[in-house]
Amino acid sequence: MKVRITKSAGKNLCKLLLCLLFIYVLAGCDRQDKPSSNNPQPVAPARIYEGTIIALGDSLTAGLGVAEEEAYPAVLEEKLQQSGYNWQVINGGISGETSSGALTRINWIIAQKPDIVILETGANDGMRGIPTWVIKDNISQAAKLLKEAGVEVILAGMQMLQNLGPDYTKEFAAVYPAVAQEQKILLIPFFLEQVAGTPSLNLPDFIHPTPEGHRIVAQTVYPYVVKAIQARRLDRSAKNKKNR
Amino acid sequence: MLNFRFIFRQIRSSHKQALIFVFCVALSLLTLVSLGGFSSSVRSSMLKDARQLHAADIIIHSHYPLSPVLTTAIKDYEKQGLATSAVVHEFYSMTSNTALEKSVLSHLKVIEKGYPFYGKVELASGRDFSEVLKEGTIVVEQSALDRLGAEPGDSLQIGSAELIIADTVIAEPDRPVSFFSFGPRIFVAAADLERLDLIRMGSRIHYNYLLKVNDPAMVDRLADELASVAVAPQERVNTFENAESGVKRFFENFLFFLNLIGIFTLLLAGIGIQTALGALLRDSEYTIGIMKAVGATNRFICSHFILMIMLLGTFGTLLGLSLSFLLQLYLPALFGGILPASVDLVIAWDTVFEGLLLGTAVVGLFSFMPLRRVRNLKPAAIFRKERGTAGGRLAQYFTIGVITCFFTGLTIWQLEDIATGIYFVLGLVGLLGLNTLITQALLRIIRKKRPRTLALRQAFRGLFRPKNATRAIIITLSASLSVIFSIYLIEQNLQATFIQSYPPDLPNAYFLDIQPTQRQKFSTILGTEAQFYPIIRARLASINGRAIDREIERQRRRDNLSREFNLTYRDFLLDDEQLIVGDSLFGNRIEELRQRGEVPVSVLDTVAEIGDIRVGNLLVFSVQSIPLKARVTSMRTRTESQVRPYFYFVFQEETLKAAPQTIFSAAKMERAKLAEVQNRLAKELPNISVIDIAKTIEILARIMHKLSTIVQFFTSFSIIAGLLIIISSIFATRLARIREAVYYKILGASSGFVLQVFTLENFLIAMVCGLLAGLIAQAGSWIVCSRVFDISYHPLPGRMAIMVGITVLLVIGVGIGASLSILQQKPAGFLRDEE
Repeated sequence: MKVRITKSAGKNLCKLLLCLLFIYVLAGCDRQDKPSSNNPQPVAPARIYEGTIIALGDSLTAGLGVAEEEAYPAVLEEKLQQSGYNWQVINGGISGETSSGALTRINWIIAQKPDIVILETGANDGMRGIPTWVIKDNISQAAKLLKEAGVEVILAGMQMLQNLGPDYTKEFAAVYPAVAQEQKILLIPFFLEQVAGTPSLNLPDFIHPTPEGHRIVAQTVYPYVVKAIQARRLDRSAKNKKNR
Repeated sequence: MLNFRFIFRQIRSSHKQALIFVFCVALSLLTLVSLGGFSSSVRSSMLKDARQLHAADIIIHSHYPLSPVLTTAIKDYEKQGLATSAVVHEFYSMTSNTALEKSVLSHLKVIEKGYPFYGKVELASGRDFSEVLKEGTIVVEQSALDRLGAEPGDSLQIGSAELIIADTVIAEPDRPVSFFSFGPRIFVAAADLERLDLIRMGSRIHYNYLLKVNDPAMVDRLADELASVAVAPQERVNTFENAESGVKRFFENFLFFLNLIGIFTLLLAGIGIQTALGALLRDSEYTIGIMKAVGATNRFICSHFILMIMLLGTFGTLLGLSLSFLLQLYLPALFGGILPASVDLVIAWDTVFEGLLLGTAVVGLFSFMPLRRVRNLKPAAIFRKERGTAGGRLAQYFTIGVITCFFTGLTIWQLEDIATGIYFVLGLVGLLGLNTLITQALLRIIRKKRPRTLALRQAFRGLFRPKNATRAIIITLSASLSVIFSIYLIEQNLQATFIQSYPPDLPNAYFLDIQPTQRQKFSTILGTEAQFYPIIRARLASINGRAIDREIERQRRRDNLSREFNLTYRDFLLDDEQLIVGDSLFGNRIEELRQRGEVPVSVLDTVAEIGDIRVGNLLVFSVQSIPLKARVTSMRTRTESQVRPYFYFVFQEETLKAAPQTIFSAAKMERAKLAEVQNRLAKELPNISVIDIAKTIEILARIMHKLSTIVQFFTSFSIIAGLLIIISSIFATRLARIREAVYYKILGASSGFVLQVFTLENFLIAMVCGLLAGLIAQAGSWIVCSRVFDISYHPLPGRMAIMVGITVLLVIGVGIGASLSILQQKPAGFLRDEE
């Protein structure tokens, strides 16, 4: 029996295992950040925006497997700009993050003084079978902290993979409407509406959207963001009046 | 007309040299045949292991049901009797023990009859897996029982079905393929798949189609055919050999190493035979001169010497073959306990045939040059004590060319890849060329030296006396030594990378997503020593003001700089880390940095290599959109490539403590204790995920250990054989030096003085050879390890020194051994014999 040896014959197993660990479990990919890639010059004078939106989330927000310009936050910003909303959308996605992680960094997010936060989390908890009450507590707490800091919150509703069983998936899906109601925040009923489960809109791994999938996600999110922007504007003018 | 009496007389007169030549041929053949034979059985045993790791020959993977074309193709193969298939559905699902209201995420494997095609699923009861797993039953991992408080015989709810636990699984051949699993394994029979009702729109299922190909030779062909009709990129067709598993590369490396040993042995055999033969014919030059003087034709002389070589060669070959059969008889007894049972030490007839052909070819090829020298020998050689030349340059180059071609062909044949084979030979030629150059330069330097001590001066002169082939000796000796050193160095590096990655204290459980506020409580629950690694996700924005170009980064083969990195903080080095640049992790100018708004960072050499990062460079990170300016204050390397977490960028605690982070932990604990910890965590810190890798580690460690013993065996075998070949060739060349002893004695030197001169001379040769070989072996092994094996390289200077030391002792010992008889004799006796 012959074994073909390729030129790149070997890689150290340990590297692979750890890569697996860190890529698969805590996985990192590219995420939208401001320093432009081809411009070694010092950053150009910052653009003035009407407001800032942070897309807080996991790999679905970070855009695992697609370029950062193709991930939904970038598409959303473009869409907003085209529609005359001069708002900045910061990609605050961390691949592999659970709702517990999101809650842990909520103060860090608040410190960046966003006007609106799109909170998309819980999918990784679900895939690890974390009890749904944990997810609910985390999201609820995160939303509460954001609201207390005066941030407009949009909660991205999520559904769990059906293979986890009917009981769990039902409980999981119920988390989001419950939190939205309890915290009185905007809810996108299902973040991956029309994307989840469609082979052509997902990468071969089944769970991460393709660039086209991200465009649909941006469309799904858009009306809620517009609502939040309007609410924010109202809020601002109310505050201005009060100040006067 | 042939004169056999002449041949026998000739053999008798230089019987020592003849014996060494026979010995060299025998030894070379013994090594080639044995290594060839054993490596083919080791190879098949390793391939068996690789098959078992995937439980099939061909594996098709998809997240969607297989496309109709592919299904039709598989059905066709089955109809034609070419292959058998089994579908395995793998997915996670919640499993609950409704009686206790406990549920756990489990990793289901719904299998069709036939799985596993290779290897065995071992059950706690010892029963046959296919007998046990029937419709309505499940086979579960012990940890599922522990987590659910269930026992065999109980029923569990999975999806819409209630299934009865029939047994517990203790080993699963293809476990390492799904290395990280968030839940315990549960096997379900395919007949229950529909009842589970878990495959619906929005389910994430791994569809694995396993194929067993009846004719092993057809695996690649069928796989290629299937791949050509598969829907890219979602349907992946792999064979057990090329499937991306952690073990694939590792297998490849070891198989490659076996091939390497084969080539190296061939090289050694060639060198040994050539040296021994050269010495044998040189010993006869005097006779040849006389024969020529009295009118013997070249044809007469050459045909007699060819016949003599053939006779001796045949004798050596037969001896080598008999020895290898003897070895085969006794090896199992010798290595039975060490070598795994599945490795048979049987020499196949085709290997014997191969060995014979190779032996003849090597003897023939390497005899050519010494024989040409015989042809061109002038009768005057009797009077002039100088060496005959090998004849025309053209012929010399031609011979070297033929030998190179022969060797290149063999290398390509062994490595089964033309490009790699050619690179390999080019590399070897380069190293040998370097060897020759350095030898020349060294000799030139030595020649100019005039030491004060007489013995030392004589030793120096001895190297340049006519008829003393110092240059040839040094080149051949250092070449063969570098081969042996390389085998040793490469083996040690392979071991360090793969085998020592599995020390007994290796963590068998990983804990993910521990939040900083939970650390205390987690430690209490764990109740044992564990490593904690804070993880802060961040991306690298620029290096020294140069922004990271994501497009370029994306094209990198290995890791790239555009991904999210896991930063960490601590003020100490891990056990397997070493500083290579800098005195401490963060240097002593922290205050100065702080004033400039920078923080110190220690960088791992591997990432530094990717990004050409040096100490003193300024890295700008984006820690979740907050820029962080970090000055590289030190460079770390990992001393052992163990399966332990490592971090590219290490910061001071104060730098990152406030940043959003999670903690990753790893610990080693007993299975029962782990179950207890998992249950407590599920209750008290339910967000923490546990990954139990004990089973995987167990299987991998078993395979690695097995391979490690095989590799050690092969390495020691070829090193011992190589050493014997070297010893005999040193002996052959040193025999020629005994004449010197006589002249020294005639000139009134004492035995002590002669011994001193000889020892010094041998010491000089040995040192030069040892150091040269060390240098070449280091270069060669580094290239093989870093370019071919892609593993980190450790030069092992201590052991290298020991090897050089052994070389010196060996050369001196053998040199003295060869001249001992003459030292004790009266010179007159020798001279009388001579005349």
